[in-house]
Amino acid sequence: MSKLKSLAATLDSGHMYALSICLIGMSLFSYTNRFEFIHYETSTWVWIYAMTGACLILNFFMIQLPPEGNELSMDSSVYLACIFTFGTGFSLTVLLMNCLFFAIIDRNTSWWKHLTNFSIYCIMITVSAALFQYLGGNPGALVNTKLFTYLIVLTVYFAANTLLVGLYYYILYRGTLFETIKDIIKDSVFVFLCTLALSLVLTVLVYHNQILGLMLFMCLSVLLSQSFKKLFAMYRSIEDRANTDQRTGLYNHSYFEEVLEQEIQKSRSSGAPLSLAMIDLDDFKKYNDHFGHLQGDKLISFVGEMLKTESQKSGTVAARYGGEEFTLLMPGYDSLQARDYIDQLRKKLNNSSFDGVEIFPLGCLAFSAGIAACSLDIHDKSQLVDQADQALYYSKRQGKNTVHTYGMHSPLEQELDFSQDVRDIEQQLNLFMYKDMETFRHSKRVFRYAMDISELLDIDSISKRNFTLGALIHDIGKLEIPWNILNKKDKLAPEEWEMVKWHVTWGKKMALTNDKFKELAPYIELHHERYDGKGYPYGFKGEEIPRLCRMLTIIDSFDAMTTERPYQPTKSFEEAIIELRACAGSQFDPELTEFFIEYIETREHRTGDTAV
Amino acid sequence: MVYDGIIFGLIVGFFRGGLRHGLVQFSNIRLKAGWIFPLLLVFQFLMYDIQERSSTVAAASGYIYIAVYVVGLIFLWLNRHNKGFWLILTGVFLNFLVMLVNGGRMPVSYEAASVLDPVYLQMLKSGDAVTKHFLLDASTRLPFLGDIIPLSSPYPRTQAISIGDVVMNLGIFLYLLNIMTPAAVDLKSQPKVQG
Repeated sequence: MSKLKSLAATLDSGHMYALSICLIGMSLFSYTNRFEFIHYETSTWVWIYAMTGACLILNFFMIQLPPEGNELSMDSSVYLACIFTFGTGFSLTVLLMNCLFFAIIDRNTSWWKHLTNFSIYCIMITVSAALFQYLGGNPGALVNTKLFTYLIVLTVYFAANTLLVGLYYYILYRGTLFETIKDIIKDSVFVFLCTLALSLVLTVLVYHNQILGLMLFMCLSVLLSQSFKKLFAMYRSIEDRANTDQRTGLYNHSYFEEVLEQEIQKSRSSGAPLSLAMIDLDDFKKYNDHFGHLQGDKLISFVGEMLKTESQKSGTVAARYGGEEFTLLMPGYDSLQARDYIDQLRKKLNNSSFDGVEIFPLGCLAFSAGIAACSLDIHDKSQLVDQADQALYYSKRQGKNTVHTYGMHSPLEQELDFSQDVRDIEQQLNLFMYKDMETFRHSKRVFRYAMDISELLDIDSISKRNFTLGALIHDIGKLEIPWNILNKKDKLAPEEWEMVKWHVTWGKKMALTNDKFKELAPYIELHHERYDGKGYPYGFKGEEIPRLCRMLTIIDSFDAMTTERPYQPTKSFEEAIIELRACAGSQFDPELTEFFIEYIETREHRTGDTAV
Repeated sequence: MVYDGIIFGLIVGFFRGGLRHGLVQFSNIRLKAGWIFPLLLVFQFLMYDIQERSSTVAAASGYIYIAVYVVGLIFLWLNRHNKGFWLILTGVFLNFLVMLVNGGRMPVSYEAASVLDPVYLQMLKSGDAVTKHFLLDASTRLPFLGDIIPLSSPYPRTQAISIGDVVMNLGIFLYLLNIMTPAAVDLKSQPKVQG
């Protein structure tokens, strides 16, 4: 409500300002011009027409400057030349005619804006013309000795313009007046200098060569505007080239990152859906190896060309992400629409012919794609890219030439995949059976805890999978620790302890060898980090450690405390809970610790059973 | 002056759109009630002819021209959605207005007419001109809309024209240019994202 009120207040003051400008402008006009045009000779009218025409043409052929949307019109030079050659009343008549015609041509702009514009010009012309007269200037030829006077008049004209327009923006947007005016001056010094030189040139030309002089001036201005237009087009093409990938003509990686950032912002502020697709050509390496890089490049540009035309048709942004990977940013598409659209693209590519497609397993060009939709919990653009990448990885694993949306596999599929993953990891863990039975059992128990906890935590299915599998595999690095250290009954020597610490790093390296387990690496590597930063291997602190890794640390320690270990006495659950509480805030995340304790207590209460 | 806009429009149109494209486009012109225009033209030429023989027709010529203008304005109004027709309409209306308030005849200023053939100037001065023009004087209403703009060298033709003529020709020029040039490729048609 208060927002509405302040908006109304702004509008009001803006309107009030416009109204007062209009009143001042129109009274100045009637006082200075006194409607003298009623009594003009026909020859004067001819000049009025000529000057009005010149203004209109200059308004049409604006000088375009980079960046986009920055234009300047040189009609002020005509008004100033009119003041210098014909006098104030004449200039005002030209202004009136110009504004009348312009209002007729530009019917889209509301009348009061035209009126305000007219009034602002009225004030500028009257003030500078009065100054011109005060300084002893007479309408007519340019006087060589009075150049300084002209300069002052031009400066005042410019200053009046800056002040009037600056005040308007100040009232409208509530900036600081000084800053606003500074900005305007910075932007328009070039305009000022142009106008200055041109008005003096026009004065000379009109006085000595009349209409021919005016025509020459117009030719010059129009040509100038055309060459600036060319320059601007060149600027744009260079800008485009910097943003495109040379091989495919698509946008390049860095430009994509830039657009992604903007589109995420836009989608967040407007609430419009936004989807990102990551596309990877299937078996491109095979094609490259078979036909050589040159032919491979041709394939890349062929696919790029297709994506480009398709994206232009649908208003999406296609970029080459790198190698045979492409991204497609789809503003206004939710994940379903995006899926349909990408699937259509995939079919289209399947049906397009290209040399040597017979070597592909499917006998046609194909890509796998992953789609991620932007949602509110995405804070960073890399998160969205990551999700699309994971979805892409999933569709690759599903046998390629498919499109998959992040977080959308069917529960059954998910279950199957998950049990497959568990089986895979268990195979690795079976090695512990002969090396260290206790680690084997510990991993299984921690896995069970993690399964339970992941049900209670509010996390998506992918995090759930990673968390539970991570719990299962977290001690895999211990396989590298020699038998005698692993099974030592006495206290470990410092160098042996150092070796035990290495298991997190070795474990991570093992996980990274398999694409499937890449995402589990953080759980393996960081489960000995402490909340206060005194853990290993990095000494991360608090939020630096991912939340679920902090959770795993708690489970891991709890299980270590409550089971028999070679170098530790066993604790009961109650004792372990006390110990956990004692270490909450130092070793463990206090919030998650409470969460875990609550879980253990309700479980104990429910089952009344201490064994796992 | 009626033809200048057409000629310039054709020249620039052929240059920018190419002869073939221009001619094809030209044959595709479809205007509402398009038959009115040639009919008015023929009627005007008939009037010139009859005026010289019949004094009653000559006396009433002012009103007849007004009627011709009204029909012409209706024709333009029907086609106002075409590019440039608003300008043609405005120009013709300005000419119509000044003739309407001056008894159906177009005032010509002495200064402007002085670029013309002295014979014509003499005819205007004596007031017995049988055409639709008369010499502008103090009693003329809306003199600034009359034929007051002298056209002479470097312009290829020597004429006195009115602001209505200028506006009308600009409209004709824009109309011809628009139909004869292929649609320009828009620089901004690419998705635009500012960096």
